Amino acid sequence: MTAPTARRVEPSVEVPISVTVNGEAVEAVVPARQLLADFLREELRLTGTHVGCEQGICGACTINLDGEPVRSCIMLAAQVDGSAITTVEGLSSEGLSPLQQAFKDNHGLQCGFCTPGFLMTLSTVDPDEYPGEEGIREAISGNLCRCTGYGGILQAVRTAWNRPQDA
Amino acid sequence: MPDTFELGGRPVYTGAHVTRRQDDALLSGQGTYVADLRPSGMAEIAVVRSPIAHGRITAIHTAAAAAVDGVIEVITAADLTDVAPYPNFADAYTQTPGTFPLAQDKVRYAGSPVAVVLAEDRYIAEDAAELVEVDYTELPAVTSLEAALEPDSPRLFEDWPNNRLLDLQPDDSEVAAILAGNRVLRRRYKMGRHTAMPMETRAALAEVHGGRLHLWCTNQHAHIARTTLSYVLPLAERDIRVVIPYVGGGFGLKQHLYPEDVLVSWLALRHDRPVRFVEDRAEHMIAAAHARDHMIDIEAAIADDGRILAMRVQVVQDLGSAEIFPGAWCPALTTAAHMTGPYDIRDCVVSVAAVTTNKTPGGSYRGFGVPEAVFALERFIDEIADEVGADRLDLRRSMLLQPADLPYTTASGALLDSGSFAESFERVVELGEHAYQRADARYRSDPDSRIGVGYAVLFEGVSPTHHGASAHWMGHESCTIEVQPDGGVRVASGVTDQGQGTTTFVATLTADALGVPMETVRVELADSDATPYGLGAFGSRQAVIGGGAILLAAAEVRGKVKRIAAHMLEAPEDDLVIEAGRVHVAGSPVPAVTMAEIATTAVIRTIDLPPGMEPGLEATARYEPELMEHTPDEKGRINANAAYANAAHAAVIRVDLGTGEIEILNYILAHDCGRVINPPIVDGQIWGGIAQGLGGTLYEDLCFNDLGQPQTAFMDYLVPSAIEMPDLVIEHFESPSPNTPLGMKGVGEGGTVGPAAAIGNALAQALAEFSPQIHETPLSPAVVRAMILDQPA
Repeated sequence: MTAPTARRVEPSVEVPISVTVNGEAVEAVVPARQLLADFLREELRLTGTHVGCEQGICGACTINLDGEPVRSCIMLAAQVDGSAITTVEGLSSEGLSPLQQAFKDNHGLQCGFCTPGFLMTLSTVDPDEYPGEEGIREAISGNLCRCTGYGGILQAVRTAWNRPQDA
Repeated sequence: MPDTFELGGRPVYTGAHVTRRQDDALLSGQGTYVADLRPSGMAEIAVVRSPIAHGRITAIHTAAAAAVDGVIEVITAADLTDVAPYPNFADAYTQTPGTFPLAQDKVRYAGSPVAVVLAEDRYIAEDAAELVEVDYTELPAVTSLEAALEPDSPRLFEDWPNNRLLDLQPDDSEVAAILAGNRVLRRRYKMGRHTAMPMETRAALAEVHGGRLHLWCTNQHAHIARTTLSYVLPLAERDIRVVIPYVGGGFGLKQHLYPEDVLVSWLALRHDRPVRFVEDRAEHMIAAAHARDHMIDIEAAIADDGRILAMRVQVVQDLGSAEIFPGAWCPALTTAAHMTGPYDIRDCVVSVAAVTTNKTPGGSYRGFGVPEAVFALERFIDEIADEVGADRLDLRRSMLLQPADLPYTTASGALLDSGSFAESFERVVELGEHAYQRADARYRSDPDSRIGVGYAVLFEGVSPTHHGASAHWMGHESCTIEVQPDGGVRVASGVTDQGQGTTTFVATLTADALGVPMETVRVELADSDATPYGLGAFGSRQAVIGGGAILLAAAEVRGKVKRIAAHMLEAPEDDLVIEAGRVHVAGSPVPAVTMAEIATTAVIRTIDLPPGMEPGLEATARYEPELMEHTPDEKGRINANAAYANAAHAAVIRVDLGTGEIEILNYILAHDCGRVINPPIVDGQIWGGIAQGLGGTLYEDLCFNDLGQPQTAFMDYLVPSAIEMPDLVIEHFESPSPNTPLGMKGVGEGGTVGPAAAIGNALAQALAEFSPQIHETPLSPAVVRAMILDQPA
């Protein structure tokens, strides 16, 4: 192999976006290639959205985008123009929400890295669409946790969804 | 145990369901991990990694990358003229890889760091990294431990005589004589290549403040990291501060000081600006420590009833390229130390080899050699039972250590001072047989299902010496407790928290040992400037050894509190109790003095102290377990741990004959970690450990092809989700150790250890009609289906 002739890396095209984040209007000009997760974390400094894989597999970066659970690591910031986003920082304006409290009471977290993703998935889905014990597992099956073995998380969701294990 | 290891009063928090300290922050997105730090002026790096497994570097072309707008510098090993290779303190018995942060001359695994681009942000750094061209002369790759053992195998390190970094061949003449006179059974077992896969990848951020290096990193030990940095960088330890903020899981993988930790430090010093590295998951798959990848050969002399009379074992661990610090040969030694299990097997000799291959360096991972030993031994016992026609449960009963056998020193030198080996086993058998019968009744008429139950019973060394890993650091832990004038408490310790709840544990023990409300205790961990020198997190040690240091420091402070209070209350010291931050005569809550009044006296109004007493109300203590040994005796025996936990596992499984899928119907575990401090945290450790153990048994495997190319992406490395995880039945036994503070043992790894053995044995029963050969993990559907078809997978 020989040294390549100098290739120029083209500067990114920038895109203006208007987006509502945790209830506040945000106007920004973003590089076209900037990941949504990086926009939230590095530009808005909402670092509660964690990046675990940048491949859309682990679910740690899940946010609420117009009511849907979405992986912010495989979307571009430029795609969310006109949308409303909620991140974990916007889940509760005061204290912990009932879902967050259930995680705390049931030891539903250890290292906490995956936790915002679980919370955002759960706060976005409709429990009625995920009936029974299997429904709980199905609802969180797109979020990986390496610490808890899911025991505390499952108990937290049962509590938050008022769903006894034997039901 | 001296009474200084007691709590000093009636515990309020110890043993109770205490919620964790960090949870409010973590649940609202306020926990600050390394990747969340962004000091102004920060630059970022991208690492250029070798695409080949083995080759000689002939040229590195960096000019095109350096010319990209926003690139600050591109460096290679040749630039690191003032950096030393990692030391090898074990050079008396191991070969030295001479690990350097960037590849010098040769690359030995695909993923090896070759060059680093420093740029204004990660996007630019990655763009430029693609423009770095490296010329290699490829060399044949060694891609399996069998190949590495071949006499004519290509060598990774040309100045070594072979690929054996470690090769311990103890005298086996006594065991050989027993083997020669008895029926001998031989089996080979292998465990696949795993990795810890914490949800947070590795990260490091280096800054320079007043000429000092501040490294924020994901490492599991602040002080070992600081000392190691001083070995490789031209810096004095006093000029290095290591801080470990919130960490997203460690599991051993973050025990190593990685090349990127050194590189961001070197670049921050060189450019006098903050430099950050955040690993992406694709890098993590090839550049963060791998683990397991063991082969175990057992030869055993067996009696007519199947009892093991003597064992000769060879353990071989595949280290990958071994370019990691601290070194990674210790799991093989740990496997060797656990080969007899909790059975009365007096004659067992184990040889250990750790070999280098052209794969990602192996390192630490929860379980650390024990899952391998338990899988091999517990499968072997079931196979003996089949061979001699014995009942596998009765065969275990005939060898299991009974309460009257304790204390018992194993053939490897482990001192089992307490435990519930037989009792926990019987409880799990009772529950397991019941669950099996229910499952059998339910599926008996289903022609596509087969049901099996499998058992594993085990002990696990916890709170180990670090000597095996580093041949340098030993086993102590430290703690400083300071009562401040307002009565509040600051406790600083060398232990660290990767999410397992260490912070809460430290606050719990400190509050109970001082008799103060927990909310008045502030915990400082993992900042080398703020905490006394400690060894941090590894080997399920922090409760036992860290706890011992807390209790020692607290006892000293408590004694002084009582002496001052006795003076103030004009009451005999021995009559006093401390409760909820107030000191009074036992049985009469008034009059009392508060911790604030006592501390104000000790620190500010020292004129009111008892005559001759020194001012101040703080203590620093260090605890090194007395019975823990650091080097083996002439026969290779060593009591390498402060304590030994035990457990019994049972798995009831359904095998789908059509797909080969294993469904876990019931998973039952009886565990014994001695005195429990926080029940939910203990349960959480067990659940998480079982999930990792199941992952490695059924799904997880890091594969390489014949060229040494990694074949497993994150998508293929199947970390169990909530769908795969069974419900657990957990039975608690509590056999306090007479030799540890409060009788505590460690619980961090136990769950990981048993699943491979329990499920392997359940599968053997379920598929008995097919005479399956179950000697390896993972037991993926393809592997199981091949057993059913009696064809190679």
